[in-house]
Amino acid sequence: MAGSTSAPRSAVVVGGNRIPFARANGPYLHASNQDMFTAALDGLVARFGLSGQGVGEVAAGAVVKHSRDFNLIRESVLGSRLSPTTPAYGVQQACGTGLEATILVANKIALGQIDCGIAGGVDSASDAPIAVGEDLREKLLAANRAKATLDRIKALRGLRPSHLVPEIPRNSEPRTGLTMGEHQAITTAEWQIDRTAQDELAAASHHNLAAAYDRGFFDDLVTPYLQVARDQNLRPDTSVAKLARLKPVFGKGDGATMTAGNSTPLTDGASVVLLGSQQWADEHGLPALARFVDAETAAVDYVNGGEGLLMAPVFAVVPLLARQGLSLQDFDYYEIHEAFASTVLVTLAAWESEEFCVERLGLDAPLGAIDRNKVNVNGSSLAAGHPFGATGGRIVASLAKQLSQKGSGRGLISICAAGGQGVVAILEAI
Amino acid sequence: MNDARTLTLDSTPNLTVLFARAAATSIGRGGPLQDVQVRHPRTWIRLGELAAYDKVCGFALRDTLPATYLHVLVFPLQATLMADRRFPLGMPGLVHVHNRIVQHRPVDAGEPLTLRSSARALRPHEKGAQIDLVGEVRVGHELVWEGVSTYLSRGASVPGEMAPAQHVAVDLGPDAPANAVWDVPGDMGRRYAAVSGDVDPMHLSSLTARAFGFPGALVQGMWTKAHALAAIEARLPDAYVVDVDFSEPLLLPSIVNFFVAQQDLGWDFAVRPAEGAGDHLRGTVRAL
Repeated sequence: MAGSTSAPRSAVVVGGNRIPFARANGPYLHASNQDMFTAALDGLVARFGLSGQGVGEVAAGAVVKHSRDFNLIRESVLGSRLSPTTPAYGVQQACGTGLEATILVANKIALGQIDCGIAGGVDSASDAPIAVGEDLREKLLAANRAKATLDRIKALRGLRPSHLVPEIPRNSEPRTGLTMGEHQAITTAEWQIDRTAQDELAAASHHNLAAAYDRGFFDDLVTPYLQVARDQNLRPDTSVAKLARLKPVFGKGDGATMTAGNSTPLTDGASVVLLGSQQWADEHGLPALARFVDAETAAVDYVNGGEGLLMAPVFAVVPLLARQGLSLQDFDYYEIHEAFASTVLVTLAAWESEEFCVERLGLDAPLGAIDRNKVNVNGSSLAAGHPFGATGGRIVASLAKQLSQKGSGRGLISICAAGGQGVVAILEAI
Repeated sequence: MNDARTLTLDSTPNLTVLFARAAATSIGRGGPLQDVQVRHPRTWIRLGELAAYDKVCGFALRDTLPATYLHVLVFPLQATLMADRRFPLGMPGLVHVHNRIVQHRPVDAGEPLTLRSSARALRPHEKGAQIDLVGEVRVGHELVWEGVSTYLSRGASVPGEMAPAQHVAVDLGPDAPANAVWDVPGDMGRRYAAVSGDVDPMHLSSLTARAFGFPGALVQGMWTKAHALAAIEARLPDAYVVDVDFSEPLLLPSIVNFFVAQQDLGWDFAVRPAEGAGDHLRGTVRAL
């Protein structure tokens, strides 16, 4: 069924769908990852007339998931309007999940292994798994292994009340014990990113996202879910002055600049992207919004190597640009995931820094400055929120539509992820 | 039919109170079926309650309501009718033997609904008397959902001609293996009662079930129907009719087998004991 050519072909982005993102413990309080991902899939199926049809594969993931959800994506497919003969698998690369899944599907299409596929991700910060503590877990497993009742009782001997305290997932790095915000606060201080610049970026994110909604930009990218029609975190009337009143939550002392306003909140949501070969899109009468050109994933040693936790995308663009023979300025749009406002600002500063580009990136000269008016033109995670696994799909679909509307040019996506990883990709207009 | 009356509710009645009232007033029921209708305009869905129902029955949490959830909304109106002294049959011990739901179109959780329920077709049956509780759901004037719950009152005697028995026939192929095994836990009756309001004592504990002559607690038939529908949820047409017979009671806890087979216009399904004979449920879904 797949193409017979051995030469790689390009995958095109046909379209996307997501549910509005909602703040944790808000309107999606009762929705599981599977509920939300199924809703995102069914919205895509409805939009592109795929009911009862199969696609080559569905690759997606959730960052925080229950152990019972081992086959989360396949289970979601089985509960969706897609044909039950559609294969699916899970991907997990922290906040890079959605974009990495897109790369996997696009590569299979490029190689002719599949003709079309769906990539995406989902995360619920509300319906979080709770694990029992390690002491209790070991005792329970031992009791389960025991064959005689007396042995079971022996295995459970020594249980203390403190063992019964459950472990709730934390947004922290296992090797450093620091939360992502605490890590980024170190990086923010190192790069001397000031508070006002962060608040300006956050306000712009809200204003750009609100304007995009008002323009109808998301009409064919978002399907309402549980009576929510717009990203719930969006504050169209926020301002730099309002954001300036918030107290810092990450960092220490007078130099702390990162607030709840210029950091993304914990969010629930799901997104999917439909990709195919140009031929598949043509044969099915479907649009091709943008070509998925190339991608790169990098990682940094944030544990002992002195690099910032969220700096990997800065590194990842170097081989990507070299491979494509492009400069950092050769783009019409830049989609830089706003984990924190300062993440975007540090990324831009690092690309501009001669010292960093030469000493850390091994370049002869800095990658240089880019036009700030081309960055996150329809808002990003600070306004929309950031359900970890769902951000990649949100960005890919939005950028593809921006390029399709413009009719020319190319866009760069940059997403930082926990564990010191970063995923970057290039899309271009068709 | 005489004494036509409509009871209009402005909030969902408390089912525990209704069950108690129906039990307290069950002696001396009889006489002809009177034309009483219960109406509940402007009902809104509470998402938390829907989510809890979905979880217990196995549905995904969507904006469109499971067809069986609308039965849950209409059920308090049925109970209001049954608790009314004019209702000719005593409510305790009434057994739900058949249920038909017609979904004319998917109903969105955000739509304001008008619910109605009435009773019709009181008739003799070889084991007593049967009656149909019919419900309808409208959005504005548009009829979006209809339900018919047929109840049997064992030993009751009513005048009239015995209607021919109707059974749901299913074609599941000879000796086909089960499509799924359901491990139905002992507290499923209580869990379904919590999300549906169906607090009939025969579902709540072995002790209360024995008072009705059952060997132990049994799960509500509408849970079994809902769980069967949830198993084929993603493959249901937008408009359909789903008919089920509740045959043998499903005692708790139980391990049962679920059988389903696609037909030209829909699905046939059955819930059968893992061992032994006697279907718990037989059902058909047909596209409209």
